[in-house]
Amino acid sequence: MTTPPSSPAARLLDFWRVFRRNRMGVAGLIMLAVIVFVAVFADAIAQYEVRSSIAVTTSDIYQPPSAQHWLGTDDAGKDVFSNFIYGARVSLIVGFFAAFISIIIGGVIGIVAGFFGGRLENFLMRFTDIMLVIPDLPLMVVIVALSKPSLLNIIFVIGLLGWTTTARIVRSQTLAVKSRKFVLRARAIGAGKAHIIRHHILPLVMPILVVNAVLVVSLAILNESTLSFLGLGDPTALSWGQMLNYAFGRGAMSTGAWWALFAPGFGIVWVVLGLTLFGHGLEQVLNPRLETHHLMNPRSTVKNEATGQPLRHATGERAALDKPILLQADSLSISYINEGKPRARAVENVSFTLREGELMGLVGESGCGKTTLMLGLLRLLPAAGQIVNGEVWFGDTELTALSDEEMEAVRWKGISIIFQGAMNALNPVRTVGDQIAEAIAKHDTTMKGDALDARVSEMLELVGISPEHKKHFPHQYSGGMRQRAMIAMALACNPKVVVADEPTTALDVMIQAQVLELLDSLRKRLGLSIIFVTHDLGVVAEMCDSVLVMYGGVLAEYADVDTIYNNPRHPYTQELLKAFPDLTHPDKRLTSIPGYPPKLDELPAGCRFAPRCPLVFERCRVEEPKVISIGERHMASCHLLERMKPE
Amino acid sequence: MNRWRYLLGKIGWAVFTILFVLVLNFFLFRVLPGDAARAGIRDPRLKKEAIEAIRVRFGLDKPVINCFESLNPVKFGSCGVNPLDTQFFIYVKNLLHGEMGISFHSNRPVADILVERLWNTILLIGAGQVLSVLVGVIFGVFAAWKARTKIDYGSLIISLVAWSLPTFWLGIILLFWGSNNGLPIGGMQTPGMSSQPFFVRAGDILSHMFLPTLTYTIVYMGEYMLIMRSSLLDVLSEDYILTAKAKGLNTFQILKDHALKNAMLPLVTVIAINLGFTMAGAVQIESVFSWPGLGGAIYEAVNRRDFPVLQGAFLLIAIGVIAANLLADLTYSYLDPRVQSE
Repeated sequence: MTTPPSSPAARLLDFWRVFRRNRMGVAGLIMLAVIVFVAVFADAIAQYEVRSSIAVTTSDIYQPPSAQHWLGTDDAGKDVFSNFIYGARVSLIVGFFAAFISIIIGGVIGIVAGFFGGRLENFLMRFTDIMLVIPDLPLMVVIVALSKPSLLNIIFVIGLLGWTTTARIVRSQTLAVKSRKFVLRARAIGAGKAHIIRHHILPLVMPILVVNAVLVVSLAILNESTLSFLGLGDPTALSWGQMLNYAFGRGAMSTGAWWALFAPGFGIVWVVLGLTLFGHGLEQVLNPRLETHHLMNPRSTVKNEATGQPLRHATGERAALDKPILLQADSLSISYINEGKPRARAVENVSFTLREGELMGLVGESGCGKTTLMLGLLRLLPAAGQIVNGEVWFGDTELTALSDEEMEAVRWKGISIIFQGAMNALNPVRTVGDQIAEAIAKHDTTMKGDALDARVSEMLELVGISPEHKKHFPHQYSGGMRQRAMIAMALACNPKVVVADEPTTALDVMIQAQVLELLDSLRKRLGLSIIFVTHDLGVVAEMCDSVLVMYGGVLAEYADVDTIYNNPRHPYTQELLKAFPDLTHPDKRLTSIPGYPPKLDELPAGCRFAPRCPLVFERCRVEEPKVISIGERHMASCHLLERMKPE
Repeated sequence: MNRWRYLLGKIGWAVFTILFVLVLNFFLFRVLPGDAARAGIRDPRLKKEAIEAIRVRFGLDKPVINCFESLNPVKFGSCGVNPLDTQFFIYVKNLLHGEMGISFHSNRPVADILVERLWNTILLIGAGQVLSVLVGVIFGVFAAWKARTKIDYGSLIISLVAWSLPTFWLGIILLFWGSNNGLPIGGMQTPGMSSQPFFVRAGDILSHMFLPTLTYTIVYMGEYMLIMRSSLLDVLSEDYILTAKAKGLNTFQILKDHALKNAMLPLVTVIAINLGFTMAGAVQIESVFSWPGLGGAIYEAVNRRDFPVLQGAFLLIAIGVIAANLLADLTYSYLDPRVQSE
């Protein structure tokens, strides 16, 4: 929330620009505008004055709609349409004034409780909890029945009982705002409490309060009409609820006078629905949610997009190496496509090969497309992500061409993945053992009962967790244990390839070392192939066989580990290595790369590294470099290499 | 150990809330001007003896509470009164004996009237609650799963409209429709049914329940759908769903084994909090369909100015809602393993 300071009018205008596009919100606003107009100009719209007495004969009662009475007449022979128009006034007045009282009380209680904390907060929130539990409508009925049923009383009763949700919402928002940096700063320089509340807390609580107010108004209108329907309305102010009370209690049902029953209810629905839609729209604008999730239908894979033909054997000479290739990505490109935004080319034209038993390091800055590439391999991309070019070969199968069911069989059994931050990667409401067993049972239906149980214990022991912990839930594990359990789960189906996506980021240094050691020893024991995604060049140097360096979604350099460290050819790799300490030259200065990695939806025109490259020349800024094969299993994308290459 | 402390805390809190309601209920009916007994006392046409008789009959001759003769806070009474002989303690004592006074209208003990009605309300609310949760959850699951598609927008709009319907009006409309289609239009049983065999009676009650339950379901399903949708959307964007997908589970397995339980947890709390609002619905539905329950009792008591029944019905409803809240808290702690260690 680092909105630049601007005038309230400008902010309102900005808000309107976004709100205008929310169809539900605008529809609600229009509905409200109509009814407010009707209420204000009731005298001009209604054909009959409500209060004036007319000479009624029995033939005037419950007349069906006609040219004279558009919505017929009611039990007293009065015009339903005119009553309906005037009823809007009563409903809106009660709704707005009662809600006003509720919002003030709830707002004050919420801000005071949230801001001052301590015993005061405890007391206020306990009181709010009690009021929240007591059923409000029966209580309103009791109070109104015991006092005079006047409009003023009804407003006060509804207002004085309707503040509980507001208080809770405002309090939690105040708590959130209170710990923001600028509030802490204001406190540190000795700003008074009233000043902080007025200038720092209120502006940020206001938006939520407004959304809540819309809801409170609609509840107040519903409550008023219910009280009136139950016979507790003000006899001098004919509200929609009261019209229904009279019609229902005085024979509209048996006479079949549907108009007298239908019209007032329609008014209530109109106002409340208008408020609901308006509030829903406000909330979506003030508190936007992406509303995407992992089960949404992914975009289908596209081949031969603009970048050209998929290049099946582009990854250089393979014959020289003894081990067979397990996994191969060929010119894989992945984009994120969100409506109304430019397409983000998150991964472009990346190729690599992974052999049996090989450990490949995947390095690059945050946001360079490492995780996208890994998720793309398993076709686990979020809904906006789409494979737009390339192929992924796993043994003899091309993964991007498989059906969903076939892909499900490959996941975990063929390629499994260790996610970063295992706290969230494990389901909090199921035991760890259960979650490991689930993976095994899914891919091997013969595993059941004791055999399955034994296998789970075996897997936990393999990663150094005592088997009795399988009955425990993830929150009962320490961070290191969770990551180990995640590894055990990833290995449970004997996969050929394991993708370890920054498996140690959330852990402290000692545990990191343990987890890495464990991974390495398991690789040697089980003959796994591992893709290791990391920031840590030290780990890569120590453990990996080959290294793929990514920059801004493209392959910067790909080679075996010795070549990368001793003969890096891409300027980015060279700079990256300068930024890491070298134990053989402890006195060497570390340099960081100036600038920031490119945003994937605002890529520079030529080479993506050009804005930060120390060796940049004019061609780099206009033309994207191709991936060039420099030597045996050594590729890089840089114009410099092409120049140096003897033609 | 923690678990027991958690449970004891919750139970203690519920007891405290009930005490609060007892006090509130006592004073509401003494502070507000409408109580018939005291309104009668002020009637200038009555003779002194008659007023005294009313005061004795309703216990108004005793001090309200120790040290206070009446509810005028400036007018102190004597503090030496036996606290057990004050209006408040007599009220509490009577409640503990299950006595809630005598109905002005029927002259029967309020407790007897309300107890038989309590079960009718539980039957109606139970059926409506189960159905609305079921329908709401199903719609919500589909809406979240198919987020940002026509299915999603369709269910969203249906829910918002359903939420906006005044319960009593929907009841009236359905009653209007039902009465033209031969459905029973009021009450709980056709007269003369009590001599019929069990299944005939049960069928008769079911057909009487149809419209009220339908009203209830439509009004409350919208809210459950919105909550389920939002809750499931949160859960489905969690990392562990991606893990489940990476494990090779299909959509159905992920929804069933990983998403639903987690997404249902917030719903349990909401259902509990909603019970208060639910009673608002029960009052309206029972009034429209003349269902002989607690809500209907409130409606009738209001129209007959039968305050002992009104007071008793309010008390019973409040206590029922508090108890149901407690039950939901306990269920939640049972369902969510994280609660026990917090």
